[in-house]
Amino acid sequence: MGTAELLQFAIAGLKNGSIYALVALGFTIVYASTGVINFAQGEFVMLGGMLSWWSYSMFDVPLVVAGLMGVALTAVVGIVFELVAIRPRKDGNPLALIIITVGGSLLLSSLARHAFGPLEKSLPAFTPGPSFRVLGAAIDRQTLWIFALTAIAVVLLSLLYTRTRVGKAMRACSIDRSAARLVGVDPRSMVTLSFALAAALGALAGLATTPLTQTAFNIGPSFGIKGFAAAILGGLGNPFAAVIGGLTLGLLESMSIAFISSTFKDAISLLVLLLVLFVRPQGMFGRAVREKV
Amino acid sequence: MRRRFVALGVAVLLCAVAVLPGCTTDGEPGVDAGDAEPIRIGAVLSVTGPYAGLGVPERNAIELEVARINDAGGINGRPLEVLYEDDATDEAAAQAAAVKLIDRDGVVAIIGATGTGQSMAMRGDVERAGVAQVSMAGGNVITGEFSEWVFQTPWPNRVVVPFILSYLQEQGMTRVALISDSGGYGKDGVQITKEEAAGFGVEIVAEETYQRDDKDMTAQLTIIRGAAPDAIMLWGAGSEAPTVLKNAKDLGIEAPIIGAPGNARLELIEGAGDAAEGFTFAAGHILLPESYGVGTEAYEVATDFVDRYTEAYGVGPDIFAGHAYDALHIVVEALKRLPAEGFDAADVRDEIEATNGFIGVGGTFTYSADDHNGLSESDLTLYRVVDGVWVLAEEAE
Repeated sequence: MGTAELLQFAIAGLKNGSIYALVALGFTIVYASTGVINFAQGEFVMLGGMLSWWSYSMFDVPLVVAGLMGVALTAVVGIVFELVAIRPRKDGNPLALIIITVGGSLLLSSLARHAFGPLEKSLPAFTPGPSFRVLGAAIDRQTLWIFALTAIAVVLLSLLYTRTRVGKAMRACSIDRSAARLVGVDPRSMVTLSFALAAALGALAGLATTPLTQTAFNIGPSFGIKGFAAAILGGLGNPFAAVIGGLTLGLLESMSIAFISSTFKDAISLLVLLLVLFVRPQGMFGRAVREKV
Repeated sequence: MRRRFVALGVAVLLCAVAVLPGCTTDGEPGVDAGDAEPIRIGAVLSVTGPYAGLGVPERNAIELEVARINDAGGINGRPLEVLYEDDATDEAAAQAAAVKLIDRDGVVAIIGATGTGQSMAMRGDVERAGVAQVSMAGGNVITGEFSEWVFQTPWPNRVVVPFILSYLQEQGMTRVALISDSGGYGKDGVQITKEEAAGFGVEIVAEETYQRDDKDMTAQLTIIRGAAPDAIMLWGAGSEAPTVLKNAKDLGIEAPIIGAPGNARLELIEGAGDAAEGFTFAAGHILLPESYGVGTEAYEVATDFVDRYTEAYGVGPDIFAGHAYDALHIVVEALKRLPAEGFDAADVRDEIEATNGFIGVGGTFTYSADDHNGLSESDLTLYRVVDGVWVLAEEAE
């Protein structure tokens, strides 16, 4: 196998990996604020693509405006979902909340089917044109966009968490909810905010992938599963871990295809995920002990 | 406390909404024309779930045709009533629907299901009760694993594969790579292709698969590119096909890509954009009825259906609507040959098997005691995507 092929496999892996990373970020954010896995995260990806397509085809606006509308509308859906389904469950019982998110996921995809129909929708590429060649390997423009959007999302998220009052308040809530409340932070609005952020990140993944793969009402769970695996692999702690988890998962898959078999790629990456969790149950970069019990 | 109940209520509601679509059904009385007792047949369709894109046009086609048949006086003076069941693309639901139609509604024949898995799930019950089933799914297994009660309207892979292979042979493309959906349809196509390839002087030089909902097939196509094939055969019917075309274009693969009837969808062209140019696929004549030859009876039947369907629904019928048209009319023609009263489900089956030279929109059907598909390679034609629309491949060349 030559360098060009190897590079091509790496690019394919990083491309899938970036998508997984964006989805994984959403899992991480909601987990930090509520301690639960939000199984509706994949539906936010679906809605991001769907609502962008809807804005694009309904209002005849430029793609960038339609994309922003899609992401913003999905964030609103995330907020509404939190207010209607999560917040009324005041005791924060994780099992109940997880089941609520599972129900919400099914509800959102059913609603999308009724609103937009069963067929696939597509969006044009952000910047149409032939793919670039790097050392004999091809890299298409949309892939570069996916890399860029993932990078921007991670940087902005880190800045939010470390440099802004709101971000610090969110972290404070995840460390100690009661203590945060004592210093004047409202934990409930932080939870709402985390759902808005998670929905927006999921929507961004949906928007970025729709020009490549189209979108449909039923794509949510497959994004959700891969993103969840990436988040677990990295460790459900910080955005950085989610991104590394996503990229690792993507690379594992493409290298499985390259060196073993495309039929078993999912089995192989799940096997590696299991092995990692045997050795480090908290994931590659997770903290061994959670501060919040 | 009250709030707790509210939260619980919301959760229950969410689950209920999520579960319900699978079990909604409605038996619609087809007509009120005539005082005679209606003839009841069942239709099990995937109107929701992943195959909704197939099941909806199927239902449209059946509704359109039933209304027309009843307006023209029904069958032997009796109105036709179709009881619709939605299987939500779920095998268990399809089986339950079959039981309901047979045991509660007492239908004399069943059309369905939309998908191969769902069609197979119904088999036990149609055999138990002795009711004929006409499936609209393309899986080879449906009539390949023969049952005297089960018939099929689409072209199974054992008809499609030799058709495509003989085209490759004609073109002198002897080194062929396969990329397929790891699900039933792809697996079936690949297996038959491997069995038949040598007979057409075709060598399989690479064989790759992808999973449902995969986002990127660059890695698989990189391996295929390394094998330097003359042509690539794509076995898959889902929304992943456009991604394969796009990735191939990005990698600079110049070998032509050839697909199966499941790719005969406008969404493929829409999704792949420029990358769809030159994509060649095999499908029935319905996409361009003139391929039957203008003026032939098959041409008249197909254009008549295309015109009426387009007028009623604002879009042209796809191949799936055509499969439903054929399934319904095969049953209707059998019923017409029977007396108006005093026949049972077994008589209907016998008459369906006696279908001889029925000209539908998917081809000309002749069933026999050992062939319940009844189509041949001449019912297929090759299409090619040129400037964003499909044209006949021979005209494009």
